[in-house]
Amino acid sequence: MKISEADVEYVAKLANLDIPDDQKTELANQLSRIVEHIEQLNRLDVTNVAPTCQVVTNTKHAIREDLVQLRPGSSEAGKTIKLFKVPKVITER
Amino acid sequence: MNLKNITADRLVGLYAKRDLSVTEVINGVLEEIDRSDKNIRAFITLCRDSALEEARRADSRIAAGEAPGPLTGVPVAIKDNMSLQNVPTTCGSRILDTYVSPYSATAVDRLRSAGAIIIGKTNLDEFAMGSSTENSGMFVTRNPHDLDRVPGGSSGGSAASVAAGMALVALGSDTGGSIRQPASFCGVVGMKPTYGRVSRYGLVAYASSLDQIGPFSKTVRECAQVLEAISGFDNYDSTSADIPVDSYTRGLDQPGQSVKGIRIGIPREYFIEGMDREVKAAVEGAIHRYEDLGCRIEEIHLPHTEYAVATYYLIATAEASSNLARYDGVRYGFREGASGGLNEMYRKTRMAGFGKEVKRRILLGTYALSAGYYDAYYLKALKVRTLILQDFQKAFEKVDVILTPTTPTPAFKIGEKTADPLSMYLSDIFTITCNLAGLPGISVPCGKTSGNLPIGMQLLANHFQENLLLQAAHQFEKSGGFGDISN
Repeated sequence: MKISEADVEYVAKLANLDIPDDQKTELANQLSRIVEHIEQLNRLDVTNVAPTCQVVTNTKHAIREDLVQLRPGSSEAGKTIKLFKVPKVITER
Repeated sequence: MNLKNITADRLVGLYAKRDLSVTEVINGVLEEIDRSDKNIRAFITLCRDSALEEARRADSRIAAGEAPGPLTGVPVAIKDNMSLQNVPTTCGSRILDTYVSPYSATAVDRLRSAGAIIIGKTNLDEFAMGSSTENSGMFVTRNPHDLDRVPGGSSGGSAASVAAGMALVALGSDTGGSIRQPASFCGVVGMKPTYGRVSRYGLVAYASSLDQIGPFSKTVRECAQVLEAISGFDNYDSTSADIPVDSYTRGLDQPGQSVKGIRIGIPREYFIEGMDREVKAAVEGAIHRYEDLGCRIEEIHLPHTEYAVATYYLIATAEASSNLARYDGVRYGFREGASGGLNEMYRKTRMAGFGKEVKRRILLGTYALSAGYYDAYYLKALKVRTLILQDFQKAFEKVDVILTPTTPTPAFKIGEKTADPLSMYLSDIFTITCNLAGLPGISVPCGKTSGNLPIGMQLLANHFQENLLLQAAHQFEKSGGFGDISN
């Protein structure tokens, strides 16, 4: 499938990226070539195949008591610093 | 002091006998970096003061009669996508230009607990996305064997630092071959452990279901030493495996240890058209050497190999598009366009902060996950991942170890593949199946081209068979050596 400049614009909006006009054609061409290669997967019939999101190798369920634990030997963050200062993100209308 | 001709065990032996002090070595290494790194450019950040301070402390412990541990005073380089407390972690990206880690990665902490001294943080393709280290937002790293060529990637700085004798061992991360491919290009040992073997806590996520931390070294023994130090369950990584860690070094030292009778599978699909003639010859030479060592060589099939690159670039980019959503100008320092409102600030920050390849992969991943394409691309890739995993499960019923070339060609020229992203992606063809299947893999040097460029072979084994892989690699090394150091 060919990726158009309009596709690039749409996906860039979803991804919160601001792509300058002069880069859209190049990106559309590169992504089209990659997607063309990816479409070789269509040769395979995977109707009855289960998806693998992750190859699970851990034997213990990753759930523990919801207790605050400071990691030994690690940061003081959270112990001495209660708040992190970030630049203002809310603007006046 | 160049570290090319010494190994960790010999160095620690010299410390124990008081023939050499840790401070002398760390000073010497820093001088070597000042001399050599002007050309190679492996390091983004050097930890001069902390390394010298740790060296002084190690010397006083040794002077007080404490026996040095296996990695005491060993100078280590770490890839700059692993956190080290109070030190910048850039991931080779402008978007993290001013970010300083408030904590250390578990693997880094464990290395330091074993006595290792972190001397610096190494260059990488931005957010580990690339195969040549040319995608770094900082600078290009050069291959110590030929400065006109790439060191491989994405852990190119770590591989180059060990190959050039600027670090004794190093840590890298491997999502699709980012340890094994640069190890092969730089003529060193590089290992990607089983998924879950080494904690990912403190490793900046690229593709969480594929990422794994692992060692670079000149010899298999050092690789085993580092792996032993960094492996094991960690409460801070929900995918960490709660399975005991073998003593990898003891496995190598067992008297009479051999690979006799081990079944080695050679997948037909990995000897493709267009493969470099000298790479093919070197890998075939390695197969013959294993035969001489008493291994049984069997041809096997991994029929879905040809779909691996497509599968990988869907899954990895989909995960990356989600993982990298957090870099929005709010929390990590770098920010652009703050005057235009929140959404504009997000877009402008990400536009200015991310490099070309990162944006390309975020776009591809977002596309694969977007409405109307999810089933056709992302879900399909997850299903093909199952087929690739099943290929390996079937193969490991017949054989113990799989041997392949690590890469189809030796190190390519700087700039050779940058114009065509797909050709760069295809250079990962032999390494990415291992990540998709969560297997352990190791690249070891197996020869050189007529132009003196290193060639690597890859050994793969079933989940948690690191011991077997290291033994197979060690016996190969012992039987002929990868170079002067291992003999």
